[in-house]
Amino acid sequence: MSLAGVLFYVLALIAVLGGVGVVISKEPVRSVLSLVGVMLALAGLFLMLSAQFVFAVQIIVYAGAVMVLFLFVVALLGPIREGPSGPLKLHWAYLVVVLAPLTIGLWALLNQIQFRKPDGLDITFFGTVEQIGYGLFTTYLYPFELTSILLLIAAVGAIYLSRGGRSAEEEREGVEGRSV
Amino acid sequence: MRSTVFLVPPDPFGVYSNPIGHWLVVVIAMVMLVFVLLTATAYTVYYERRVLGFIQNRPGPNRVGPLGLLQLAADGLKIAFKESFAPVGVDPLLYVLAPGIIVVAAFLSWAVIPIGLSDSFTYWIANLNIGILFVFAVGSMSAYATLLGGWSSNNKYSLLGGLRAAAQLISYEMALGLSLVPIFMITGSLRLQDIASYSVQLGPYHGPLPLIVVAPVSFVIYFISAVAETNRTPFDLPEAEQELIGGYLTEYSGLKFLCFYLGEYINMITTSALAVLIFFAGWHPTFGFLPAILTFAVKVVLVLFIYIWLRATLPRLRYDMLMRLGWKFLLPLAIANVVVTAVIVVAVS
Repeated sequence: MSLAGVLFYVLALIAVLGGVGVVISKEPVRSVLSLVGVMLALAGLFLMLSAQFVFAVQIIVYAGAVMVLFLFVVALLGPIREGPSGPLKLHWAYLVVVLAPLTIGLWALLNQIQFRKPDGLDITFFGTVEQIGYGLFTTYLYPFELTSILLLIAAVGAIYLSRGGRSAEEEREGVEGRSV
Repeated sequence: MRSTVFLVPPDPFGVYSNPIGHWLVVVIAMVMLVFVLLTATAYTVYYERRVLGFIQNRPGPNRVGPLGLLQLAADGLKIAFKESFAPVGVDPLLYVLAPGIIVVAAFLSWAVIPIGLSDSFTYWIANLNIGILFVFAVGSMSAYATLLGGWSSNNKYSLLGGLRAAAQLISYEMALGLSLVPIFMITGSLRLQDIASYSVQLGPYHGPLPLIVVAPVSFVIYFISAVAETNRTPFDLPEAEQELIGGYLTEYSGLKFLCFYLGEYINMITTSALAVLIFFAGWHPTFGFLPAILTFAVKVVLVLFIYIWLRATLPRLRYDMLMRLGWKFLLPLAIANVVVTAVIVVAVS
């Protein structure tokens, strides 16, 4: 197996084990860290696909900002350990019922797939910041701008909701009252 | 469109084209880098203490070795032989992992930082197309070190310090990233070599241009955010002694404590080196007579001086002032800077 093949399986294994860790960890902080592991392994896989920009953004945005916020909230809530809420019944049966069709379906879907390089691939240019920027501002300009507006609306909405229905004056008074 | 993915490195004896020779060169470069960085860190601490002493009208460390130059060797040995003590109730894995993360992240950033050793020979380990994004990506990992260190210590002061550090890092990362967008617009590259070697042809002058001349606002935003990112005074709320004992460092001792300090100082040198590469034309001659490597070193030392000067001069910010500065002043200013630069770049080209 080539070095790339070994790297792929190592990263894939980290990603899968991290995913399992998210589910089976009893402590929320460990779950968050497992998810960080998944994100980093995915970033490595992106890099192996020559998507350098996506690699950097995956780490900066997901591992560096979103997961830090998750961890922040979990750490703020304190060291409450989650115990099982009740005895589980028939969970192995549920697992088989859900997983078996999924596995068969995925196998049937992916069985016939032949992988090949995209046509006209220039590997010195593919996945670079230049190419992604070029794509975003030419072919995909409208989807890109619409997504930006959607994100802006979501951000403004989140700020409005987190005020808890108070007006701007009440908010200012509240802050001054607390800062003594 | 330009495509600048691979630059050909200088290959004096044909070692670089041989795959084993290539790896050998890279490994030797990495080992040298670790030693150079460790030494640089020790002397940054010494430099800081001497400059602080000078500013505060006292001698500073001047007893160990000539001019006190061996002070940090003595301090390092002393702290390495201290008992590495872990209090009861810590999370054993994360408590040890946190100092490891910060040191690994601090060293990894240097993989993409180029250093001109002479006018024709530039040293680098990885010459990435995304250069500076890699530094940001790795740097954002150090938020985990402070947050996990604070959380796993089982101490309320540590936890508060860790939470403060995480909130501060996330808030100032935005301004830090946006402050450099005008630079990318002007130079058209994220690769640090290209940014440092950005040249202009202005009348009789043809040569590298220190970008601070064209983007002074970017430098101010970058530097303030960098000071906040490295948790240095006046942004050292995560380890404010009067409020939080030692913040996230409270329960750390011995080598693990040393790791946190090492990480902090390497990050300080990293941000200074980045400032030199981006805003002050890197190793390209500014002082005329000095060789490239010394030009670079002198510039880094001068930027580090600003760090220490700030520490000696300014009192610590209050928490709400910190957040107001980051979100209501630096971030809008950085966005306005991007817009204005974009208009000018389009108008000029």
